[in-house]
Amino acid sequence: MRDPESSSSDTLTSRFWSEYRHWVAGAVVLLISILIWKIQGGETVFPESWISAFPFADKVNEFDKWMRPILQPTTRALGAGVTWFYEYIVDLLIFTQWQIVLVVLVLPAFAYGGLRLGLFAVAAVGSWLVLDMWDAAMETLSLMCISIALSAVVGIVLGIAASQSDRLEMIIKPILDTMQTLPAFIYLIPAFYLFGLGAPGAILATVIYALPPIVRLTNLGIRQVPIGIGEAATSFGATTIQSLAKVKIPLAVPAIKLGVNQTVMMALALVVLATFIGAPGLGEIVLRGMQRLNVGKALEGGLAIVLMAILLDRVTYAMGREPQRTDQGRVQIFYLFPQSLETFRLIRYIESLIDLVWRQIGNAGRTVTKLIALPPCALLRAYDPDMGIKIHKLLLRHAFLIASLVLISIMLLLDSYTDVFGNFPKAWEHRFRTPVNQYMDVLVTNETFYAITTGIKKGLYFGLINPLNTFLKGLPWWYTCLLFASVAYLVSGRALALITFIGLLFIGATDLWAFSMITLSTVTVSVLICFVVGVPLGIMAAYSRTIDRILKPILDTMQTMPVFVYLVPVIMLFGGGQIPAVIATVIYAIPPLIRCTTLGIRELPEEIDEVSHSFGASVIQTLMKVKIPMAIPAIMIGVNQGIMMALAMEVITPLIGGKGLGLEVFTGMSIASIGVSLQAGMGIVLLAIILDRISQAWTKTQREAMGFS
Amino acid sequence: MKSTFKAALAAIIMSVGLVSSPTAEAGKRLVLPDLDWTGAIVTCRTIQWVLENHMDYKVKTVSMPGGPGVWEAIRAGDIDFYCETWPSYNPIKSEYLEEYGGDGSLVRIADTGIIGASGYFTPRYVIEGDSSRGIEAVAPDLKTVQDLNQYKGHFKSLESGDKGNLIACPEVAWLCEDQERMDGLGVDFHAQNMGSETAHWAEMQAKYKRGEPFVAYAWTPHWIFAALDLVEVELPDYDEAKWPATNWPKDICFKFGSPASIEKHPEVVAMLEKHRLTNAQQAGMIYEVDVNKRDVDEVVAEWMEANETVWRSWLP
Repeated sequence: MRDPESSSSDTLTSRFWSEYRHWVAGAVVLLISILIWKIQGGETVFPESWISAFPFADKVNEFDKWMRPILQPTTRALGAGVTWFYEYIVDLLIFTQWQIVLVVLVLPAFAYGGLRLGLFAVAAVGSWLVLDMWDAAMETLSLMCISIALSAVVGIVLGIAASQSDRLEMIIKPILDTMQTLPAFIYLIPAFYLFGLGAPGAILATVIYALPPIVRLTNLGIRQVPIGIGEAATSFGATTIQSLAKVKIPLAVPAIKLGVNQTVMMALALVVLATFIGAPGLGEIVLRGMQRLNVGKALEGGLAIVLMAILLDRVTYAMGREPQRTDQGRVQIFYLFPQSLETFRLIRYIESLIDLVWRQIGNAGRTVTKLIALPPCALLRAYDPDMGIKIHKLLLRHAFLIASLVLISIMLLLDSYTDVFGNFPKAWEHRFRTPVNQYMDVLVTNETFYAITTGIKKGLYFGLINPLNTFLKGLPWWYTCLLFASVAYLVSGRALALITFIGLLFIGATDLWAFSMITLSTVTVSVLICFVVGVPLGIMAAYSRTIDRILKPILDTMQTMPVFVYLVPVIMLFGGGQIPAVIATVIYAIPPLIRCTTLGIRELPEEIDEVSHSFGASVIQTLMKVKIPMAIPAIMIGVNQGIMMALAMEVITPLIGGKGLGLEVFTGMSIASIGVSLQAGMGIVLLAIILDRISQAWTKTQREAMGFS
Repeated sequence: MKSTFKAALAAIIMSVGLVSSPTAEAGKRLVLPDLDWTGAIVTCRTIQWVLENHMDYKVKTVSMPGGPGVWEAIRAGDIDFYCETWPSYNPIKSEYLEEYGGDGSLVRIADTGIIGASGYFTPRYVIEGDSSRGIEAVAPDLKTVQDLNQYKGHFKSLESGDKGNLIACPEVAWLCEDQERMDGLGVDFHAQNMGSETAHWAEMQAKYKRGEPFVAYAWTPHWIFAALDLVEVELPDYDEAKWPATNWPKDICFKFGSPASIEKHPEVVAMLEKHRLTNAQQAGMIYEVDVNKRDVDEVVAEWMEANETVWRSWLP
């Protein structure tokens, strides 16, 4: 009945509405919010009566006072055991000749990763000697190995248990979520009270922190074994335990190995933090360097940690892979230099020389093994020919191991009866802290540079941080709660809305509302900057191999370098307060965003380029109109990770004047009030859960809308 | 192959250990804390040097921030003695020391000889100018904290708004109450906590290098006075009744330990009772460590060798 004109305008509006309704809705909500903010005026105040009715921190402290004497005898005894074991290993590593320790540490890298990883291991272990940090590195290494071993054992057992019972999995999952987002600072102090200062407390805290990935991956690995295989085992009469031990767990080994690998990286992230409860090692060097404004020293310690992290990561990763036969065929398998240099004869000579040496070492190892294997096998063969051949084969398969053992034994004998092994020559030690410190001084007084940093600082403060602070703190608390809850309801559903609402009420009732709003604004601004800087960088890396190659090692270092290393430079260049906190957070949180953007654009099918080119679109048009919109889900995953990392950084930035929830964690720590630390830490966890779930739900709907699975 | 490889390596390591495991003399081992300010570290290391070189003790140091954590560690027996505590910054007296009404789980041993003083300081160029660096005197009549009001425009920062900015006590937990002091004395300044000592000194040094005016909290003895030329901005004399609108009291620093350690190591206690350092002696070593960025042990050893009469008088 309608006339054609109005119907066409109808479709126009409806099309406009369907296309832009998110933006319109957002703008309307923002307008209403500003209106309410104007009406409210000043800072919002959470009702005093609610706060006094909810004395969370006091109750936690009371519980702690009551619980501690009961637990302490047991936990202290456990701690003493761990300390004994730790000191045993450290003494062993430090008092054994460095040459022997070096060989013992480097051989697994050669065994699993081949020549390339082996040479890297030599460089990494050598760097601790060259930087004169051998003892500290051995302490850190021992702490790490014990923590990782404990995490692996506990984690695999828990993971297997969780895979067998859906109910247990339901219980464990939220606990793991909390463990991953709860700032480690909070359990450092209880860990030390219960288990003891230094190594035992640090090991326990590291285990808590590093446990989640291995539990998750073990559980997942076993659950992913096809049902048919389990049924087949049962039909052959295997009991549940048998089918688990003989069939399912062996099939899940790759996943479990991946879990161990991730645990290694998590554990190393705690090296510096553990120094706060007296853990010795490389972390101490970083923290001391930072505390004395010795940027160079902190950087040296940081570098040693980075190298250890990369080494442990690569070795555990190589262990998880299928073993590679490196000794087969005559083809050169090792390339030290990039392919582009292969045209130079000298380079080829060097490489074939290394290859030759490597082969000869392999041959020598096999010859030694054959020699050792000969007498017992000959004896055995006389007794039982079949057995003799089997043993011979077995020994030969382990040629590398046997040769290594022989090498180490010879070195040990040499060390006991001669003194061929000296200390590490002083002349080989090199430190670069002095030039770094001098460069820092130049940078601080450089006027142009100072003008730039001041410009950034002022722009950020007056343009973003200050308005956002006053806006968020000014919005009435009930309005903010409702707003977040309705967003949660819209993107996910009733459950998330309820969690959000209760979570925010908890924050308010523990008198942390203002702190949490500052945290929220710091995180928002940081992630915004990460987005503005990171997405273009990621796009450039997706298009240019050169940029990608330059960025990769920088991002690797940024992700493994302890944050404490760059806190002092940030404060010297930007002064104290919320701005340096934002800048440090950006440095920490930007790598995943860059990586996800690059990945998101690269993983798009190549036909897109061809199709859009055939429609006459330029490269820029293809990028802007087709590729970026299609990569949004991937970018959103990066944003999500960025938010999580920014929240994790909240507990570090108080050291340079950050003022959010993290400051309360610190205050609680320095007045020895676990309750105060815990409630602020839970505030961070709650914000993390709320932001994470909302952005994940949103990304999921986006992906589905675009037809990704 | 992998597990056998690992097991064999472990076996090797263990056997090496049996051959070369270190023999330590039981009973003569002590644990001392390495606290987070250099003064305390230096004091501790002088004690450690005497213990190790002249009393046959083995000392292990444990790095950790000062405060309740260390007190708990001493109470639990993880650490034996605390080398230098500043009484006005913490509630240690009322909570742990019996003579002040605490539960007696820690025992005071003796003074360290260090007499600490806290206060507010400004660079000399702010008051007198510095022609060699081309800096004009922005606050020529600045003497007391109240004088700051007339110059507050020069001390503004981003976050202080119309008020002047005070680089205040870095950590909230030290209970300096700077903002309350400013308000109580009628000074229109905003107290900015930098969050950590590191940040505090970094900010002061960066501002000083650029020749900007600032007022900051600091304490003596400290290396900052050797690195920067600072003048004290006077506070009214200490009066307990008026706290915090008053100066800090002088801090008579002291050493303490757990009753168990004191009973177990009488000769160490005898040494600690005699051990004293003056402000000037400590400041000299702090300067070498923090400004010249030298190794603490090296600096302390050098000082001890040069001052034999001093440490000889500490021996029991």
